[in-house]
Amino acid sequence: KYKRSPSEIFTCQLCGLSSPFTYYGQKPPNTRAIVLLEECFVTKDPFSPDKEKFLVLGSTCSMCSSCVCVGSDCSLFYTKRFCMQCVNKYLDQFPHQIQAELAKKRQSSKTAVS
Amino acid sequence: MDSDRRRHSRSWDWDSPECRAQLDDVFFRQHDYIQAGSPEHKEFWTFFDRFQRFKTKRDMTGSGSSRKEEKKDRKQTGHVDLGLPKDYDARYRINVSVCTRDVEERLAKSEHRGRKSSSGPGPQEVSDCRLALLHFLDFNQRQSFGKLAKLRREQKNLPIFQYRDRIVDLVRRHPVVVVAGDTGCGKSTQVPQYLLSAGFKHIACTQPRRIACISLAKRVSFESLNQYGSKVGYQIRFETSRTAATKLLFLTEGLLLRQIQQDRTLAQYEVLIVDEVHERHLHCDFLLGVLRTLLESRPDLRLILMSATINIKLFSDYFNSAPVMQVPGRLFPIQVIYQPIPPEEQASRSEKLDPRPYLRILQAIDQRYPPEERGDLLLFLSGVAEISTIQEACQIYATHTRRWIVLPLHSTLSLAQQDKVFDIAPPGVRKCIISTNIAETSVTIDGVRFVVDSGKVKEMSFDPKAKMQRLQEFWISRASSEQRKGRAGRTGPGVCYRLYAESDYDAFAPYPVPEIHRVALDSLILQMKSMGLGDPLSFVFIDPPPAASIQTAVTYLKEQGALDSHSELTSIGSLLAQLPVDVVIGKMLVLGSLFNLVEPVLTVAAALSVQSPFLRSSQHNPDCATARQPLHSNQGDPFSLLNTFNAWVEVKGERGGGSRKWCRRRGLEEQRLYEMVNLRRQFKDLLRSHSLLESEDSAPSAGDRTQRRDRLTERRKLHQLKRDHEQQEGSRRKVLRLDEGQDGDFSSGSDSEEKGKGKKDKKGPEQDVDIQEVKFKLRHNVSELQDAVNVSQDLSSRQQALLKLLLCRGLYPQLALPDEHNNTRKDSEQVFHTRNKQGVVIHPTSVFASDPEVLHVPEDETREMGPDRRDSSRHQLLAFVTLLETNKPYLSNCVRVPALQALLLVANSVDSNADCTRLVVDGWLEVELREQEEALNVLSTALTLRAEWERLLQAQLGQGSMGVSGVHGVSRKAMEKLSEGLVRFLLYTEVSYSLRRLAAFQTQNLYVGPQSESELFDAKSQGLNPLFPGLEAKPDPIKGGLRVTSFFTYNCLTDSKDLYSECLRTFWTCPNCDLYMPLTPLERMQHEASCRPKGEQHNEDPSDERASSSSSASSLCRVYHCDICNEDLKLTSTEILKHKRQHMYSVK
Ligand SMILES: [Zn+2]
Ligand SMILES: [Zn+2]
Repeated sequence: KYKRSPSEIFTCQLCGLSSPFTYYGQKPPNTRAIVLLEECFVTKDPFSPDKEKFLVLGSTCSMCSSCVCVGSDCSLFYTKRFCMQCVNKYLDQFPHQIQAELAKKRQSSKTAVS
Repeated sequence: MDSDRRRHSRSWDWDSPECRAQLDDVFFRQHDYIQAGSPEHKEFWTFFDRFQRFKTKRDMTGSGSSRKEEKKDRKQTGHVDLGLPKDYDARYRINVSVCTRDVEERLAKSEHRGRKSSSGPGPQEVSDCRLALLHFLDFNQRQSFGKLAKLRREQKNLPIFQYRDRIVDLVRRHPVVVVAGDTGCGKSTQVPQYLLSAGFKHIACTQPRRIACISLAKRVSFESLNQYGSKVGYQIRFETSRTAATKLLFLTEGLLLRQIQQDRTLAQYEVLIVDEVHERHLHCDFLLGVLRTLLESRPDLRLILMSATINIKLFSDYFNSAPVMQVPGRLFPIQVIYQPIPPEEQASRSEKLDPRPYLRILQAIDQRYPPEERGDLLLFLSGVAEISTIQEACQIYATHTRRWIVLPLHSTLSLAQQDKVFDIAPPGVRKCIISTNIAETSVTIDGVRFVVDSGKVKEMSFDPKAKMQRLQEFWISRASSEQRKGRAGRTGPGVCYRLYAESDYDAFAPYPVPEIHRVALDSLILQMKSMGLGDPLSFVFIDPPPAASIQTAVTYLKEQGALDSHSELTSIGSLLAQLPVDVVIGKMLVLGSLFNLVEPVLTVAAALSVQSPFLRSSQHNPDCATARQPLHSNQGDPFSLLNTFNAWVEVKGERGGGSRKWCRRRGLEEQRLYEMVNLRRQFKDLLRSHSLLESEDSAPSAGDRTQRRDRLTERRKLHQLKRDHEQQEGSRRKVLRLDEGQDGDFSSGSDSEEKGKGKKDKKGPEQDVDIQEVKFKLRHNVSELQDAVNVSQDLSSRQQALLKLLLCRGLYPQLALPDEHNNTRKDSEQVFHTRNKQGVVIHPTSVFASDPEVLHVPEDETREMGPDRRDSSRHQLLAFVTLLETNKPYLSNCVRVPALQALLLVANSVDSNADCTRLVVDGWLEVELREQEEALNVLSTALTLRAEWERLLQAQLGQGSMGVSGVHGVSRKAMEKLSEGLVRFLLYTEVSYSLRRLAAFQTQNLYVGPQSESELFDAKSQGLNPLFPGLEAKPDPIKGGLRVTSFFTYNCLTDSKDLYSECLRTFWTCPNCDLYMPLTPLERMQHEASCRPKGEQHNEDPSDERASSSSSASSLCRVYHCDICNEDLKLTSTEILKHKRQHMYSVK
């Protein structure tokens, strides 16, 4: 279950973001009371002055098992991880807060493009 | 509701520190992910307050409290049910949970049992805090991931990203690949990463600048999310972050060359990237030549040359038509406007630059572009004087319009002033940065929209004839011109104003003159020799330097004693080749290691290797000048530097960070002092590693356990401070004030101090950490340093004399003679002459510029011997570090030395007439002594001292090269005796002589020329013992006369009388033996050298000298009767001479 390989690369299947990860699982090192609610690809947070901090890169979609990053364009966590494709597919099962939020985002990105 | 909760929460108050502390015990314990007291902990509580406010607001508006999920009929998509909770809760969007059940249970229990902590957090508070913590963690994750995503986006958007696979493929298939791309294409940061991720290991990437090594290593390790790992490192002179795990190393070109010296095939690397090859630095050109040969023995090695799109074919051809990958840069369109300066505004050579053309452009920008459209101006001028002229004019305009902040940029500014160009102008105001070509490649400033190019550059060139560096103004090359233009298009479309005509541009040289064609090649040739690269003239350079400069360098190295007469490395030469410093500095270090003067020599060598800490801008500030006064030494600039460093270390020891203020008050750039202290330490290590210095005890430096623990705690704190600082570094830029540029160069010490105070108030205490002080404390043990400095403080006049001699010998042949008429000239018109250049002046920064009288021959001690002959025993020479011609030829970093003594002890060539009253040194300085007797004494003493000095030096060097540690080739006694002798000679030689420079016509027929054997030699001279063991007086084949030692030729000057002519014979009584007979000077010296007085060792420890010399020298011993001691002694000839000398001094 615990995989620790410094040279493995995580790649998001949706946006292509790739980065080496140092840990895969729910209990990254030095996190004590903290537990992840899903199995994640984790690396050390390069933006934190403290080298012990972790950064979750992504995980697998609970529906289609594709590997996705945690970026809001690629996936969403709502008790479980869903890739954006699956979110769209099952959109009506999500609470309306999330639906509204996504609709709003779609709208704003459209206006930004045009 | 909030009020509700409060009622339930008894005495709970979220704002009370006690209450928060109780929750800290639950969530932020010592081993938790976030610990109480850490910066994140502080951030959390700030976040908590925000989060609570947000919740309250949401609850009030009711927007989020609608718990009831609309019971809309869910159309089941297919048959899949995601099993999502019915009611929305933001909590479900967080993929983290925090388990503190153990602590909570404990809390609950204690509450249950004793009700002791009745005011403790209840389940509600714990739950509130947990929720906030979850949101805080999630917030931090989002932030960091956002940064990562942005980083990856930026990497993808770099032009070079499209070429990634092709580059990797080329490198796999070819030993040498050229990657050519212009500014902004990302080659320097990306190509090493592409190769790393393609599986290449052990990559070295060279850079021409040290600073680039550090920043690239930081950037690349950051981009590869390995910021704190060690896979990406840098190594520069004296500093490294390299570890065994390092896969990618950024290093300077010079350093890679040094590594090749150690490891001929560079087996440690799989890939070499040589970046910025188009800049054509000396080291880079040489490195390419070395690598070209090295590739033959390393067919597996991959070499990548990275260049701007300049002259690519040259590099490709040099490496057997290596494939080229050309990558477009990322520049926005730039409009070029040619605005040649009208003739009436063109400055003639002597005049100041006319600012009108520059002001017109500022005006034009103000008229054409609305102030809301941001974009700064970068103005390229050739030099510092030009910058201050234009700066002054622009400042007047800026003060008037209030639309510009004028900032100068050049390397002699303080770092704080240089740093200002990166700060931001307030809205509606533009920066006008007036820069040398430092902003062409070395310094990159974002936000520049307008470039003004004067088309001029000042470049250093080396004049081999005058042995002088020269800073001259030239037209730039087309390549530089394009580079300057490009600076306007980095962040958006830009405009470039060229202050020359398009036809001028077309007439420019295509590329700048490579450094190898411009500079002295001494170090290069020395390094080639030590690498065994054969004849430098036949080495295949990418662009061979002129043969004449190679020849000049070889001659210079011979003069310095680094090469012998066959152009082979001497022992000191091979050591110098390993020291990564200038030849003269290296020599000083080696010489210093012999005497008890290591500490001051280390300081001086370090001080002379960095830029001067004395800020030029403060020179005209009377307060600074007064405060500096006690630091000045009229012995010479190296002594002022030594005093300054020592005083600074003392301040550091007493007041730590207070040194910053101390420096400011004296107009000192403290950064240079930090550089000095680091360099000094490295020099020390270097001497140790060459066994030229005893290793210090490695035992922990004193102190009991508590002291050590305190030190450890302090170090930990310092490390934390350093990390914090690095985190903040460059994160936010200051906004400039409108009057920022005005004080610029003219700022006085006290003014800037006040400004400093003002800043402190604004920033708050944490921001004001002096990071240099922190690093200093981490690197150096202040009390140890103080001890070292104490040794060199208050040098006795004897030590000072010796130190001056060492500096002089190190700097030789860089000597200057004061003009004989200086006494009658104004201070500002003092003139000096070097061997190769007449009429040089002292740089205004030198102590001798303000105090030239100390160089004058005191009037009351001179004797006029004729119209142009003034005899004195007080003639002095200047030994100098640099001779640089700008508008005038200037000497900088000078030290004064007694002329005759110094010349006899260090010169490579001393020629005499028959009675030794006339000496010519190095073919340009003529010394005439009044008394034959005195002349002989002086010469004889000098010869003896030099022989002994040379012997000890060779012993010291021999020991070093053999790496025998613990065994001292030079006994302390012998060393002390030599220094005693040298000091006496320097300080107490009271011989009257004249000193002048030979005119050109006088050097024509200086020597008698070769003489036939019979003319010179008779049985008598051959029968005499040689003056020095192993050296025989042989006729000199070129000069004539007798070559007595490697540097002294007797009786070769044309005015010389016949060697054995009777008139030279005078009756003489040997003070040591009973000899009384007429002798020629040579005969007398030879007798003196061989007839050694005895009894010399009476006042010494006999076990030392005799025991050590008995085995080797017993055959040379003879019975000698000393009249003074009235005793028969068995001594070697050297010992006899020493013995005799001792009596001589004691009589005096
Ligand atoms: Zn993604
Ligand atoms: Zn999916």
